[in-house]
Order: sequence, then C-alpha cells, then structure tokens
Amino acid sequence: MPDVEFITLIDRTYRWFPPAHERDSIGIDLPNSHYDPDLGQQILEEVVAGAQRAERLGFDAVSFFEQHNTPLALIPNALTGAAWVAAKTSGIKVAAIGPLLNAYQSPIRLAEEVAMIDTLSGGRLILGLPLGIGAQYHSMGTMSPITARARYREAVALLDKSWKTEGPFAWEGDFFNIPYVNPWPKPRQSPHPEIFIPAAGSRETIELAARYNYTYQAVLTPMPVLLKNCQLFRDLRAEHGYPDDPRKIAAVVSVHVSETDEKAREELERYALWGVQNIIRFQFHESFPPGHVTETSFRAMMDGGYRSSDPSTLTWDQLNAGGLNGSAATVTENLEKLVSAMGAGRVIIAQEFTVPMWLQEKSMTLFAEEVIPHFRPAGALPTWQRERYQGYRTQTELIGRNPRRAGHLTVGIDGVYEPVSDRDFD
Amino acid sequence: MALETGAVVEKLDVRGTEIAYRRAGDGSSLLFLHGLGFSKRWWPLYDRLAQHFDVIVPDLPGFGDSPQAPWMSDFDDMVLVLAEFADAIGAGRFHLVGHSFGGWVAAEFAAFYPERVASLVLITPLGARVPGDMPVDLFRRGAQGRLELMVGDRAAGLFPSATQEDRIERLTRDYLDLTGFGRLAWNPRYDIRLERRLGRVNVPSLVVGVEDDKVLPASHIDAYAKMLPNSTVTIVRAAAGEPTGHGVVVQEPEALAAKLMSFIGEK
Repeated sequence: MPDVEFITLIDRTYRWFPPAHERDSIGIDLPNSHYDPDLGQQILEEVVAGAQRAERLGFDAVSFFEQHNTPLALIPNALTGAAWVAAKTSGIKVAAIGPLLNAYQSPIRLAEEVAMIDTLSGGRLILGLPLGIGAQYHSMGTMSPITARARYREAVALLDKSWKTEGPFAWEGDFFNIPYVNPWPKPRQSPHPEIFIPAAGSRETIELAARYNYTYQAVLTPMPVLLKNCQLFRDLRAEHGYPDDPRKIAAVVSVHVSETDEKAREELERYALWGVQNIIRFQFHESFPPGHVTETSFRAMMDGGYRSSDPSTLTWDQLNAGGLNGSAATVTENLEKLVSAMGAGRVIIAQEFTVPMWLQEKSMTLFAEEVIPHFRPAGALPTWQRERYQGYRTQTELIGRNPRRAGHLTVGIDGVYEPVSDRDFD
Repeated sequence: MALETGAVVEKLDVRGTEIAYRRAGDGSSLLFLHGLGFSKRWWPLYDRLAQHFDVIVPDLPGFGDSPQAPWMSDFDDMVLVLAEFADAIGAGRFHLVGHSFGGWVAAEFAAFYPERVASLVLITPLGARVPGDMPVDLFRRGAQGRLELMVGDRAAGLFPSATQEDRIERLTRDYLDLTGFGRLAWNPRYDIRLERRLGRVNVPSLVVGVEDDKVLPASHIDAYAKMLPNSTVTIVRAAAGEPTGHGVVVQEPEALAAKLMSFIGEK
C-alpha cells in the first residue's frame, strides 16, 4: 500500500467580476472597483474555514498560492496567509506555496519571516518557492522577467546557505551583496522547513529541486512528459547522492468526490467549466513576458508545444481525463494509478476555487473518509499526528530541554561581573 | 517598390559581444539607432541619408542580427558598448540620430559623450518621464498590435516581411527584440537621471514629433526639448493620407530625411 501525504489547496476565487467575453486580462488590470470588502472578507474567511476543516478531517497539510492584481485568489503573500492560518489551526501542516523571492529585496528577509512562522507554528510550515507567473511582472514593479531566473536561482542558493551554514557569513553575488548574512530567528525545523519547487516541466527548475533535496511539485503536464520529468528528477537526485524518496515528488490534481461518477459530474461541471472559461485565459504575451523563456523554449512553444488549443473550449470529458472526479472508488483507483506511475509520495488536491463551501465539505469529507485511508498505514493517522510536535507545549518541557536558559546574563555591578539568572530576585 | 532593401550585414566583435551593422554612403559619419521593431533592416530613409553621410546603422545588442548581451544591465552598459563600437569602425565624432527606443539610447549616449556628438536628433524618443502621460505599454501588445500602433494601416505594405517570413522565425525574432528592449526598459520605463544629465549636452539637438503618435504622447517631445539646452522641435507631417505616427521613420522617409538634412546640414 502506498503511503501518501495529502495536501489540500484551500484557495478561493473572488468571483464577482465580469465574464471573460466582457473584459480583457484577469491577471493584470481587471479594475479593482469590482472588489467589495464584505465579499472579500467572505472569501478569505472561507480559506481559513477550509484549513480548519482539513485539519478536522485529517489531511496532512493545507496549502495556498500567492496572487497579485487578480481575483483568482486573495492571498497576496503566502507567508502572511500562513501566519494567520497557522494561528487558527493547531496540528495540520501549512504549505505556503507562494512567496516570490523576486518580490523581496533580499531573500534574508524571507528567511527570517519563514523562521518566525515556523517557530510559532511549532514547525508546521512547508515553504513553496515558485518563480512566479508571467502576469505578475507587470504588476509587482520590483522584478524584471529578463533577470528573474538568474536572480531567483541566486536567491535560492543564498536562502539555502543561510539555513545550512552558521552565520554570520558574507555573500558576494551578482544580485545580492550582504556583508553579514545572519538571520534571526532560525526555523524550528532543522535546517529548514520542507521546500516545494513548483515546475511545469522546465529542466532547469527540476534540476534546482534535485540539487537542493527539495520537493518537485509536478504541475500537471501531458502524462508522458510528466512521467519523464519524474524519472529525470529521480535520476538527478541520485546524481547528487540523495536516496530515492517518494515524498520528494508531489502530484497536483483536481479532485471532486461524490456518491457516483454521474453525481460528481452533475455537482462539479458548471464550476469546472466556469473556471476554464473565465480564469485560465491569459494572453500569450502576458503569460510570457520578454526573457521569461529561452529562445529554444519559445521556438518550441510557437511550434505547437504550447496551448495548441484554447483552454476555454475544454469540455467535461477533457477536464476529467484523469478520472479524478467521481465516486470514492473511482477516485481511489485512478489516484493510485497516478501516484504509482509518478512515484509520488505527496498529492496536492486542488478543488475548484468556486465550488460552494457546503459542496466542498461533502467532497472533502468523502475524500477523507473513503479515499485517504487507502493511502495510509494502519491507523490512518495524518503525518502530523505520527510525528513529534517540534515546539514545546509546556513550561516544564521548555526547562527540561534547555539547561542554558538559566544563568544567561552577565552583569557588572560595582565593577564586578557576575552571572545572574531570573531566580536571583528571591 | 521594395521598401526593405537588403543592405549587406557586417559584424563586429566588441570584446566578445557581436554587433551586426549596416553601412552605406560617404561624408561625415551618422550613427542611426533603431527603435523597437525596426532592427535588422536597411530602410529607405537610410538610403536618402546615405546620399550625404556615411550612415552606420547597428542592430543594438539584443536586437535583430545582434545576439542578446546578458551582461548588459543598464543604459550605461549600452552606451559604453556603442562607444567601443564607434571606435572600432572609426567613427570618432558623429551625428547621432535615434528613433523611439533608439532615441532614448541616443540621449543616454549624448549625456555620457557630448564631445563625440556633432549633432543630436531624437525621433519620437522614449525615456522621458511625464507623470500621468506615459507611453503605451508595449509589453502588453503582441507583435502585430505593436506594428499597428506604430505605422497604422500601412503595416503590411511597409513591413512585407511581417507577412512573408516564416511565422515561427518572425515571432521568435520579435520576442528576442522585446527581450533586448526589456533588458533596459522593463522597469523603470524612463530615466529620471536624464533630467540632470542632458543639461551637459550643449550640441545642437532636434526633437522630432509626429502628427498622431499612438505610442508616445506629444508631451514627451516637449519634455526632451526642455531637458536639452540647445534644442528645437519639429513635427513631420504626412504628404497625404493617414497622419504620421510613431513609425514615421518608415512612414515618411522623404519628409523626415528632408528635415534631418536641413538640420544637420546647417551644423
């Protein structure tokens, strides 16, 4: 039986904006006059409610992305979202698949923010480091698509070193020159939280994930390409001397579970079609600003390798090609085939971002009760219930773990320096 | 009439950076810096100018037949490589003409090397900051959309290659040109340093505007005129039909050449 970790994507779309045929871009300049603070609050609270439900149901982790200038999702910094969600939950892991390194002036600021959230959440943070989508360069004002990849790679190298090397040390890079790299605090998880690298298939990105022993978050591409990429990733890991580890491959899939396959379609079809017709409609030059891809990749895309068909014309049968919308039995069977083929030990479950909460609750409950147990060792506990909580929970545990806590101040009084402790008052 | 005549492409290695250029005519040197979408070609305007000058038209690094220059991070890099290019082809002091993005580069060059510029002509130049009145976002237009903004309905006639060339080749070349442009002009989309630096440029300068620029607001012509201490402004008008636009270089070569020759000839 495979042992798979389930991460559920809890993003929600703010959907009160004009349909695709009445507007231009959704990712750059859809006027925010369409935004209403009450409806926005509702969306963000649904995200938090989704996290609490996932914890109660026994998922291993919740995740969300980072979006900008768009109603697609309303979390503009995945780490800020993680801080709130971690505070509103107690055990489930929180995967912030978002902070754009290129939106930060220095990756060390990110290192410190990650460490703070990881510490206060008791080591529950998972960090995703996407390069970012093309449209975001237009709105961020801080990053250039021309230098984005090179700057991103240097930022990852610096971030990784800042956690694996004791500070202070100096960094002399092309993009960052930091004389004293010395982040405080440091993460609760040692040396750092699990890191996911979302990759649609660029070899460069897969190589990066392999080199640093990070998790390859395999954004769905046609199956033969996907399987080839998974094998490439395993081979590259082996070259770097890392053992085979299914947890390092995370499949990303859309799932909806109902009583029967027919009922699943009846419940989901309208939301799924609305999504492809209204959301995934970026114009090419907005998704691929200059420099975002190499000349070779660009030629390949122009030669038909990219979106030879308009995604907005997708039909239910095409959307459900993987057979992951259906009865629990259907979903279990097809999911098992997929994770076996990919060698994936993690699955990120994406639900349609607009499905009503009651329907999502039904689907997620069925998934937790009837699908997840099939992919877990006996007892069916989520990983966070199997692993030791990393923070301390009581004062006695703190004292027990930390003898150096006492006698930590040396104070000069009348020219005599003596160690004092908090107990010296009595 | 073939509007895109094939001039011989020559290539120069500037310390590892290949710069392609085209050159014709005799007389004092005139360096012409192309705009976005106007590289890789020898336009009729150049022929007119070549009747009076030694016209040198490089494809800026990252544009046309000149490969990307990944080491280039700012306009000063562009200016320095152009200075080396000019040295290498034996152009010490020259008339400098730039169009659109090339106008921006020409302004930067003049700020660094005013002594090398005999006269400066900026044709519908990008690069100035006019708050609230900025150019169209060229990064949000496809290749065809940009062409139409610049030359209007005459796009197909003026750019036969746009319809004749292999589609993949044409789109790839456009993407690379846009990458060369973005390398310097993605953000910010102006250079506020010009506001002080152009005060150094006391050479005779001409800022050329058009009748109906769908890319660059007319306020930018005035902004450059204000920054350049020894400048005049002229507007190129269409002989007939559609008014002149951002791509005046290819729309009205006769009228534009006459303006340039009259201005430079006086100097």
